[in-house]
Amino acid sequence: MMLICGTVPIKDFPLTLGEVRFDGESLAINDLKIPCTQGTAALISAACITCEYLKIDPPQALLVGDIGEGKGSRSLYEYLIKNVYTLSPDVLVLHYILPVMGLMRKVCESVERCPKRPIMIADASSMYAAKAAGLATRFDIFTPDLSEMAFLADTEATHPAYISRHLFNTDINHVHTLIENAYQNKGASKLLLIKGSTDYVVKDRRIINTIAEPDIPELGAIGGTGDTITGMVSAFAWAGLELHEAAIIAAKTNRVAGRYAKATPATKVWGIISHLPKVFKDNLCEWSGVCMKTGVRDQGPV
Amino acid sequence: MAFKLRRKTPFEGSGLILFARVEDAIKAERALKGANYVVKLVAPPPGLRKGCDLAVEINLVEQMGIERLLTQRGAVYTEVAPLKGGMEPLDIVKITHFGDAIMVKAANMKLTFDKNTGVILNTSGGGCPDIPYLHNELIDKKLTEAPRPKELGYTLCALMLDRAFMESLKIYMKTGVRDQRPGISLR
Repeated sequence: MMLICGTVPIKDFPLTLGEVRFDGESLAINDLKIPCTQGTAALISAACITCEYLKIDPPQALLVGDIGEGKGSRSLYEYLIKNVYTLSPDVLVLHYILPVMGLMRKVCESVERCPKRPIMIADASSMYAAKAAGLATRFDIFTPDLSEMAFLADTEATHPAYISRHLFNTDINHVHTLIENAYQNKGASKLLLIKGSTDYVVKDRRIINTIAEPDIPELGAIGGTGDTITGMVSAFAWAGLELHEAAIIAAKTNRVAGRYAKATPATKVWGIISHLPKVFKDNLCEWSGVCMKTGVRDQGPV
Repeated sequence: MAFKLRRKTPFEGSGLILFARVEDAIKAERALKGANYVVKLVAPPPGLRKGCDLAVEINLVEQMGIERLLTQRGAVYTEVAPLKGGMEPLDIVKITHFGDAIMVKAANMKLTFDKNTGVILNTSGGGCPDIPYLHNELIDKKLTEAPRPKELGYTLCALMLDRAFMESLKIYMKTGVRDQRPGISLR
């Protein structure tokens, strides 16, 4: 099972666990509707589309309403701490949850007791909490952008708002320094997908791939396009791809979806997500060897 | 008979509210606990001491909501300081031009607006739970009419979005004769 945990920007949305479905406009979980906008909703939407295309089970989600007050996030942490052993997910994705270091530590301790260790993926504030609590190395994948990479590289900072000025000013040409510092300080997960004008896939401090084409700078302005990448990485990992392959394909897919959408700075994230099936149809076989043929998943290209 | 001790999870705050007087610290702690914030009265380390031997330890990421609450309750404090790292949130921004659109980036947050109309086209980046909420509240509104992230948000991500918002407003107001936003000084 792939389990995605996060918050939705609806204040009274109850803590809910269930299978999620995406109908092209909004998400549904146990008959509750969630609009597809920036944040965990965008991540889940992209994951749902990817799972559907690959004809694998849709993700399960643990969601709660939180507009920043933290009450919903804390209830989510508590539920996960108590129940992750029973849920025993194969892939565990932690996303927009108020960073609380002590609770993140307890989540990781509970995960360690699971019968089988899940693939651990974190983005957004869950990545912040994991790094701030010194737990980054327990995670398999982080998906930071360049400023978040500066945060991972900063030994002291507990949030990107407090990173050192010189690290914030580090441009993409010095990304190697940030990577080296992040691994040196144990601020990095095993695999990093650094999102930016060039995407970097880094495994155990070594850059193993870069993706720079097609170049769609407008994607950086569109809220949720980082979330879609994390959603796809998670779904591909759940499908059984090697984690670095999952990262490379997700980064490529997002860029091509941006091109198909003729992205502008005003484009909304669902406008990118809606193009994912066509990107998969046109490219996935060539990129991954995962070739879909009349609903059957083959082992190699057809 | 052996008793198994149940270990309480220690509170791992990452910031301190500093005070000049002990009674101010106690009053602030009471106000914050009453609003369901998880906080703790502690002795500040010598390097951060600002006149009194008590500070309130907080989850630093909640700084913005906490400061707003303290102001609303009339609580007096000297400053909020992180326990590690830089003493002030980042105050620099980066600007990117996309034709008629301008993107302003503050730390991990980005806001993009139309330079002719002042309409907020997108917000992106960040990761705290108030960010998707603020995204929905800001998108397609004019900078001169939209609520400030500082008024609605709770977290450091929202604080950085507020920085990007105010810089965007400044740039937009400079590019021509605009109606002033009531109640906000851009200097």
